[in-house]
Amino acid sequence: MDQHLLFLLTLSPTIFAILLLPIPKHWKRVHRVVTLIGSTVIFAVSTRLWTGFNPDNPAFQFVDQHQWIPQFGISIHVGLDGISLLLVLLTTLLLPVVVLAAWSLNIEHIKSLHITFLLLATGMMGTFVSLDLFLFYIFWEITLIPMYFIIGVWGGPRRIYAAVKFFIFTMVGSVLMLVAILYLGWFHHQQTGVWSYDYLDFLQTAPLLSVSGGWLAPGLLVFAAFALAFAIKVPIFPFHTWLPDAHVEAPTTGSVLLAGVLLKMGAYGFMRFNRALLPDAWDIFVPLILALAVIGIIYGALVAMVQPDVKKLVAYSSVSHMGFVMLGLAAGTQASTQGAVLQMVNHGLTTGALFLLVGMIYERTYTRLIADFGGLATVMPVYTGIFLVVTLGSIGLPGLNGFVGEFLILAGAWQNYPLAVVLAGLGIILGAVYMLWMVQRIFWGPLDNPKNEGLSDIRFRELMVVAPLLVLIVWIGIYPTTFLNPMEAAVRLLLAR
Amino acid sequence: MLTPTHADLVAIAPEIILTITAGLLLIVEAFLPGLRRHFSGLAMVGVLAAIWARLHFELPGAVWAGMMQIDELAAFVDIYILVAVIFTIAMAGPFLRRTETEVGEFYALILLATVGAMVMASSVNLLPIFLGLELLSIPLYVLNAFLRRSQVSVEAGLKYFVVGAVASAFLVYGIALLYGATASTDLAVIGSQVASSGQLNPLVAIGLAMIVGGLAFKLALVPCHAWAPDVYQGGPTPVTAFLAVVPKGAALIVLLRLADGMDLLHISPQWVAAAAGIAVASQTLGNIVAIVQSDVKRMLAYSGIAHMGYAMVAVIVAGADGGAAVLVYLVAYTLMNMGAFASIAMLSEREDRPHFINDLRGQGYKRPIVALALTTCLFSLAGVPPFIGFTAKFVVFRAAVNEGFVWLAVIGVVNSLVSAFYYLRVVYAMYMQPLPRREPKFQFSFQIATAAAVAALGVLILGIYPTPILEAAQTAILVLVR
Repeated sequence: MDQHLLFLLTLSPTIFAILLLPIPKHWKRVHRVVTLIGSTVIFAVSTRLWTGFNPDNPAFQFVDQHQWIPQFGISIHVGLDGISLLLVLLTTLLLPVVVLAAWSLNIEHIKSLHITFLLLATGMMGTFVSLDLFLFYIFWEITLIPMYFIIGVWGGPRRIYAAVKFFIFTMVGSVLMLVAILYLGWFHHQQTGVWSYDYLDFLQTAPLLSVSGGWLAPGLLVFAAFALAFAIKVPIFPFHTWLPDAHVEAPTTGSVLLAGVLLKMGAYGFMRFNRALLPDAWDIFVPLILALAVIGIIYGALVAMVQPDVKKLVAYSSVSHMGFVMLGLAAGTQASTQGAVLQMVNHGLTTGALFLLVGMIYERTYTRLIADFGGLATVMPVYTGIFLVVTLGSIGLPGLNGFVGEFLILAGAWQNYPLAVVLAGLGIILGAVYMLWMVQRIFWGPLDNPKNEGLSDIRFRELMVVAPLLVLIVWIGIYPTTFLNPMEAAVRLLLAR
Repeated sequence: MLTPTHADLVAIAPEIILTITAGLLLIVEAFLPGLRRHFSGLAMVGVLAAIWARLHFELPGAVWAGMMQIDELAAFVDIYILVAVIFTIAMAGPFLRRTETEVGEFYALILLATVGAMVMASSVNLLPIFLGLELLSIPLYVLNAFLRRSQVSVEAGLKYFVVGAVASAFLVYGIALLYGATASTDLAVIGSQVASSGQLNPLVAIGLAMIVGGLAFKLALVPCHAWAPDVYQGGPTPVTAFLAVVPKGAALIVLLRLADGMDLLHISPQWVAAAAGIAVASQTLGNIVAIVQSDVKRMLAYSGIAHMGYAMVAVIVAGADGGAAVLVYLVAYTLMNMGAFASIAMLSEREDRPHFINDLRGQGYKRPIVALALTTCLFSLAGVPPFIGFTAKFVVFRAAVNEGFVWLAVIGVVNSLVSAFYYLRVVYAMYMQPLPRREPKFQFSFQIATAAAVAALGVLILGIYPTPILEAAQTAILVLVR
């Protein structure tokens, strides 16, 4: 069973989506129940990846390979190392969470919403487990279509603009990546005489690409093509402009998956492809990545500070947080890289939770403007408490998850890039400022908007939605070893290249 | 006087079957017009019999004194053309009934044009190629003007006729020049003479340029593309689907035979420059102008111009890789266009009025299956995986990169990015905008919906598992490059 587990797990959401097809569309509850059961089962099965994973082995595990397009040496090749393990589990965890979060939504086309969700899940998981670049590219691009529909059909007033912008921006990056993949395949054939688009084969030949001879050296161009695709996805400043639009217009569930998983695909791509396949070019590009990461940290924080809309604030905070991830990757030490991977998970948890919480208040008031709130702590004490915990986790209070990730990143980067660390530290302070200021304006003070007086506190279902995220936020804060352990060997191998 | 042998006749059995069916349709139309409802069925039987014949009889290779080459390549192209014709006929039946123009001549003309395309694609001599082209074109002049009461249809027919006549003149003159230079009309003789001389002498170059020009009209490549939007928009939608796919396929095969036979890639940098220029210009102009179209059929016309630009990249590369890429691209292009045009044939109110993208607003929920089929085909046309349009682009650009044309691949992918923009417009009109206040009355047709759904399923399934098509294309192209 373990042999085909990973591939079947990747396909399983699509299988559930096909199961939904014959169910009549007005049986909304049935769609919800089937999708919830399906995604819970997927999560339960995916824990087998965790228990069956050997943390001391840096190589890919649960490897599965099937013939696909033998003419070009393309196969269905999947595998898991410590880095992708965490991201796959983050994905499978967020699935039932978002399905449950969308439970009471009184919106049209529930059936289509659940089908798009499940298809998106296959794309996200597939991206993290593919070991063939053709397969990777397909999964990478597949995520575009469901997300385009989620934003465009179920989104806010400017949804069409946001959806098209999301689609076009992401595609801008990925089309050149396709040419880079084709080039690597040709180069592999030059070197070995064999046609292949396999990741493990490329690990042997891609590092041989020349990076000398100016800016048109093939190694640098291939690196740039990959980097553009991933930089837009992360997003790294200045490629971030699609993100606030997409987040603000997307429905809550879409935002959670977008922030929780889709952004990680970019950072993951940087590690898996740019760092591992093109180490020489990576060294040349490190200063640029560092600079953009630091700019992103500070810029994202400054822009977040002045946002009147909570969701937009959280969206810009993502730009800042993903800057930390890129900083950790660019610094390239064992600690900073592990911190970066952990920070990817952290960001998925805290930002995911924040979007969920913002969605809950939006469902009650149909507004997200900070100015419309104030003094909510008096009517929604439990909600306020949870919001505060997540906020503190996000700004890096010791004992919660954000602190561990940021500490590892900054400590790891200190020896090589002290200036970047100092500037990023400024970003942490700014982060605390805008998050706490937002909390203060929403929850503290007098309850001056009469519309908010009758607000009900968090419901049981809503509590169930955020509970798993809260548990992990605290767990990572107190005992991060659980999560640092499985990726240690994989990160070590990555950095040794 | 050439006396056909038994092998000659068996080799063109599909063409003979189609011709007989066409004749039969005309006779029945004349004497039993009451049977009109069954004409599309009869035509369909003829096409299926032709497919059966092509698959059943052995492929003899050179026949008709070496004028035709019935081999795996011919079989591949024949079957692809015949499948396109099946889609055409499937959407034609309900369409003609709706517009009250169903007569036997329509199907007879479609079948005769099909014979022309098949002859053109399997001939290796410039004379039967020209005959095939004329047999393909003349019925299409009539078919485009088939909706006699619609001014735009008559205009489409006339435009296609005038342009087609010019294209034929180009082609004939090019053939004459090549004959003058090489004393032969046989592609193999011309090819080997030119290839062994290692360069294009002026006479050959001009002749070749005229032939390419003539074919470029059929392919709607820049700068010979101007007819396409008007003809696409005006003609009956099933004819547009046929026109978008079949003549282009046949013309591309001829072009491929020429380019590969003369080894143009290696002996003529001028050819590479000119062809690459045409490819890039077609892609760029097609995609950019498509953005501002408000009529779906016009938009697809410009998209077709762009797609032939991508296919030209594969023609430039030629050889085993490029040739197979041309064939794969044709299959993909056919399925996507058939699905798209079938959907539009149904989502259309009156034939003499434009097919506005805005009329499709809200149809995603009103007509879920056809809208989904159209969406699939449009995403595929934009080159998004996991659809066959992506696979085809992958194969084409892979061939280009492997032959050193990285820049052509880069221009190609950037162009498909631009194209996503206008394909998405249709998708968001259907799914993200509400039904317009005056709801267009689209007549549901089970037959057209099935055609659209089958094409869309093909787009999806062959996109996920393209291996059989790749294998067939590679086997087929081996006979050419051997």
